[in-house]
Amino acid sequence: MLRTLRKLVLGETWSLPIGIAVAVVIAVAVRAVAGAGGWWQHGGGYVLLALLVVAFVAALRFPR
Amino acid sequence: MPFVLTAVGAALAVALELFEAMAIVLAVALSRRPSAALAGAGAATLACAALAVVVGPVLVAQVAGDALRVVVGIALLLFGMEWLRKGVLRLAGRRARSDSYAEFLAEREALAEEEPPAAGRFDWPGFVVAFKGVLLEGVEVILIVTVLAARPGGLAPALVGGAAAVVLVIGLGLLLHRPLRRLPESELKYVVGLVLTTFGTFFCAEGLGVDWPLGDAGLLVVLAVWLVISQAMVRALSAAPPRARSRRVVA
Repeated sequence: MLRTLRKLVLGETWSLPIGIAVAVVIAVAVRAVAGAGGWWQHGGGYVLLALLVVAFVAALRFPR
Repeated sequence: MPFVLTAVGAALAVALELFEAMAIVLAVALSRRPSAALAGAGAATLACAALAVVVGPVLVAQVAGDALRVVVGIALLLFGMEWLRKGVLRLAGRRARSDSYAEFLAEREALAEEEPPAAGRFDWPGFVVAFKGVLLEGVEVILIVTVLAARPGGLAPALVGGAAAVVLVIGLGLLLHRPLRRLPESELKYVVGLVLTTFGTFFCAEGLGVDWPLGDAGLLVVLAVWLVISQAMVRALSAAPPRARSRRVVA
């Protein structure tokens, strides 16, 4: 039951949810360094997008 | 733009999950007893409705503002990127294509091998198969529609899209008595993955303090990036050596 629930929420691999978590944590860290009102306000979305793309490609290349 | 994308995303996600659930219910109804299939499906629907009543208000009441956007964004990313990952693998030939009709035939075959229900007794095995099938697909439907509805302005389009899909799928099931044979399920699931991933990226970034330069039209930019990346991955994985490809095919 727990296994089914995990697959339902997190998916079939660990690499993808871990990749998403790492991408969001890095984005939060970059925002903290850049400052909420600086370049992050207009460019931060693309930083997060790039991080998520890396996580996605990694999950496809290294499915675990 | 967000209204249409949300409605389309919810409608496709709900329709595709319901097609899979319907394949199981129809298999039970045609192989064993329609009463057991309907009772199992009905009980699972009630369980899903109870889950929706609990999850939706809790999500919105407990998490507010930017935190809600981040939570909803991450939830959409978890669902969306998983659908997108599977979609890329299917389109690249690394994973079996999604086919509700084949599942329907396989389920009927499996049920036909079991002992038929005794006369005058309720068909509990048929009930359990229908209940489990509808519950598993239904829970995913509830989670996806809830996170789409939880974002600002998302309630109406998510409900409109979801309701339209429910009416369409149940209508087709009653009319045809079998799943659609030529539905491009793999391609449609890939589209759902694109839409959910786009919303996830967009709202997660907003929750982290981002003002997208083009406003809501920024959704199209994000969608285009995910489309290009995922198509590039389909091509890259399709071009991999056949030996490596056959090793990774997953049913």
